Amino acid sequence: MSGPLLLQSLVLGVLLGGLYALLAAGLTLYFGVMRVVMIAHSAFLILAAYLAWFFTRETGLDPLLSLVFTVPLFFGAGVLMQRLLISRLRPATLTMMSVLLTFSIALVIEGTLGFAFSGTHRRIRLPYSGAHFELFGASIAVVKLIGFGLAGFSLVALYLLLKKTRFGQALRATMQHKDAAQLVGINTDRVAGYGFGLGLATAAIGGTALSLDSTIYPSLHWHWIGPLMAVIVVGGLGSVPGAAIAAMALGLGQSLLQIPLGTTWAQTFFYVALFATLMLRPQGFFGGRLAQRF
Amino acid sequence: MKLSNGLRLGALLSTAALVLTGCLSGNSGQGGGEGGEDPIRIGISLPLTGDFSEPGKGVRRGYEAWAGYVNANGGLLGRQVELTILDDQSNADRVAADYEKLINQDGVDLVFGPFSTRLVVPAAQVAEDYGFLFVEPAGAAEEVFTQGFDNLFYAAPAVANDHYNHLAEEILAMPAGERPETAAYAVMDDPFAQGTAYGLKEKLEAGGVRTVADEVYPPNTTDFGSIAAKIADSNADIMVGGTQYQDAVNLIVSLRQLGYQPDMAAFSTAPTNPEFPKAIGQQTEGIISPTGYTPEADYPSNKEFVDYYTEQNGAPPNEDEANAWTTGQVVAAAVEAAGCADPAPECQGKLIDWLHNNEVDTVVGPLSWDEAGRPQGAHLIQQYVDGEIKIVLPEDTKEADLIHPKPKW
Repeated sequence: MSGPLLLQSLVLGVLLGGLYALLAAGLTLYFGVMRVVMIAHSAFLILAAYLAWFFTRETGLDPLLSLVFTVPLFFGAGVLMQRLLISRLRPATLTMMSVLLTFSIALVIEGTLGFAFSGTHRRIRLPYSGAHFELFGASIAVVKLIGFGLAGFSLVALYLLLKKTRFGQALRATMQHKDAAQLVGINTDRVAGYGFGLGLATAAIGGTALSLDSTIYPSLHWHWIGPLMAVIVVGGLGSVPGAAIAAMALGLGQSLLQIPLGTTWAQTFFYVALFATLMLRPQGFFGGRLAQRF
Repeated sequence: MKLSNGLRLGALLSTAALVLTGCLSGNSGQGGGEGGEDPIRIGISLPLTGDFSEPGKGVRRGYEAWAGYVNANGGLLGRQVELTILDDQSNADRVAADYEKLINQDGVDLVFGPFSTRLVVPAAQVAEDYGFLFVEPAGAAEEVFTQGFDNLFYAAPAVANDHYNHLAEEILAMPAGERPETAAYAVMDDPFAQGTAYGLKEKLEAGGVRTVADEVYPPNTTDFGSIAAKIADSNADIMVGGTQYQDAVNLIVSLRQLGYQPDMAAFSTAPTNPEFPKAIGQQTEGIISPTGYTPEADYPSNKEFVDYYTEQNGAPPNEDEANAWTTGQVVAAAVEAAGCADPAPECQGKLIDWLHNNEVDTVVGPLSWDEAGRPQGAHLIQQYVDGEIKIVLPEDTKEADLIHPKPKW
């Protein structure tokens, strides 16, 4: 293993970890707010990626500009989805039933994408798709750096929103103890709706970041949901910083393990980490006390 | 009691009627076959739904176009051809049952093969059991030819391992200064994709081109950053991808992001996809790909095929349609030569023997086979030249000169 290759893999791992963190942020939020296992999260990521591709194809503008439309659209869709569908599930069986419900939503999204855009693999052709610069002998691709920047920005914004605003306090109160939150006058239904919308808004950003540097097709979301679930379990369900740290660790680990092990075995790293977490520390390595109750 | 007797009588009568009808239709069927006026019935099972439905439908379009063309031009042995196409749902159990039914119950005169290795093997087994000739349009992986079938013929120019033969010859014939010394391989874990890249690897290694990277990845891989990093680190002179579609596109972009510039880059399948230049843009220049078929190839029957097919379907044919048409041409050549098309073992035996000993001119070029049914050709080598994919090898069919070393991507 040569020095430059090791450094290059480290750089790639960090960039990949950032992307994982962004893609997983919404997932951990849904579970934190209302114990919903959102299988359709990755389908929404692919939907956002398709919208970015479609936007660029129709207008010729940069796909990042599609965020102006997709973020509010996804936030609204998230609120509606929580109020019209998720809130109708019985609280006693919510977690399990939400798997079925969101699974069906994922299928609907996949089918609609296939119907509208066919199964052809698509990729946004960017003038800067191969652009890169050197840093101590390692190449840093511009598109990956943009994805990393979007991840950093979104996660910091999400963290500040949760910690520093009244809405964030209400949301965390709803996460921690719904009944108590209602007693102090929080409209937990509305807060839960907004929380869900926030999760989907991160999917809009994540999907757009994904579309910059990958080839997309309707069934691609099945490849993503497994690793993303592993990220939020290792990170501690419900914890956004936990998910970010876990994503970084797993992204780096995967990237570095590929040097000695090859791609096939490096992919299993996520699942090894998942099993190890469930055996040794089921509440997750970095997360809060929250998950212990479930 | 009376009613019951009536019923009994009715049942008896209808049974008798059924038996009689059966005899009559049996007679007429036989009489027609001997008279030579009945259509030649060809049985086919295709994956019209399920995993292989897209290529399966392509093969159906090719078969239907071939039948339409033959019938519009006087038929085969003066008889019209009639296709019976069943849907095997991409299921290997179904496909065997389908051919069993076509041969046994429907009494077809000939069979054509289904799509893909996984379905070709069980279907060929049924055809072998009944002594039927089995020409198939898809199923290039080595395992098709190692089952001991002597009735099977693959109607395409080359098996997967031979796709790059023309390129291998070209590379090994280069003068010492230009000739690449090292090669990197990135290959999907898939029998077809591996066959193409490792076929070239064997020949290059035997010719002294060193392998400096050899990465195998599972079909669901979407992130190619680390694979690209290893290849870039090896700094190989040439890069060979045993790829399908999205893997090639993602790998190429990842390699560009690392600033890796090989003298030659060859990928299977992906570059011939019309979506490829839309995804890669200007950077396709110089990328090489083997192909089994191109509408531009000037083989004698190809122009008729492209014109007829385009007129019927509104778009030129691609490889699936061409291989189906080729299957029709191969069987038709054997039928014309043997002068028979019926399920009797003598006739089928004659067809099989003829194909083992003769060459057939088709839309993908002249084809001949070894004992196991492997076609004896190689694929054309195409390269992006001035933004368009053109044939560059072999010399006698080329549309443009091979560019080497390739421009930067």
